[in-house]
Amino acid sequence: MKSFTHVIADPAGLHARPAGMLAKEAVGYKSTITLTAPGGSADAKRLMAIMRLAAKQGMELTVTCSGEDEDAAAEGLAKFLKENL
Amino acid sequence: MGFFKNLFGGGEAKTPALDAVYAPVAGEAVPISEVSDPTFGEEILGKGIAFRPAEGKVFAPCDASVDLMFDTGHAVSLVADFGAEILIHVGLDTVNLKGEHFTIHAKTGDKVKKGDLLIEFDVAAISAAGYDVITPLVICNTPDYTTVNVHTGPVAPGDLVLELGK
Repeated sequence: MKSFTHVIADPAGLHARPAGMLAKEAVGYKSTITLTAPGGSADAKRLMAIMRLAAKQGMELTVTCSGEDEDAAAEGLAKFLKENL
Repeated sequence: MGFFKNLFGGGEAKTPALDAVYAPVAGEAVPISEVSDPTFGEEILGKGIAFRPAEGKVFAPCDASVDLMFDTGHAVSLVADFGAEILIHVGLDTVNLKGEHFTIHAKTGDKVKKGDLLIEFDVAAISAAGYDVITPLVICNTPDYTTVNVHTGPVAPGDLVLELGK
């Protein structure tokens, strides 16, 4: 299992577009990927679940990847979050 | 166009019943590919349809529960009683309006009936602020469906716009 944290920098928070792009990135990995925010946890491959976190700027997300490609998944998602959120 | 699957193909004895999603706004229903934002237009969020609103009122497109009313009022996600996960996003980049020109009429967790008012928005003011008011409606759990039939053209709230089949 690999996990890391990311603090949301986007002033608009985790709104529809980044949530959709994040789900698309996550679906590319075999690992189970879970996002945890102050509002709860979500399967990172499910757009609606991600949006339900209603994560705002300044909130910390914990990303947990578990599975055969967990190293690649954690690296890919960390890069995605830095560049997009 | 692979996604307009032939309903009558496959030699099945019966055509399965399709679930229906109705227009949430008055205006013109157009293919989602007409949305200039690729997140919607290229179906990154899922298949769906878009509306050029003639009136600034968003109504529930079917019986559903409100999964998340964005506190800015620019978008709402719903879980239909039949299971579809529906996102209605009023305008493009309108998250940046921070709630201005939007009035919320339902909240996260509410059970709503088809036709219930969810959001009011000021079409003229949003357009004047430089935003495209085109309003995509996206089925976020598109992979759960094999059939997504899209009905475009002028619509009144409550007109059939999408049919979904598993």
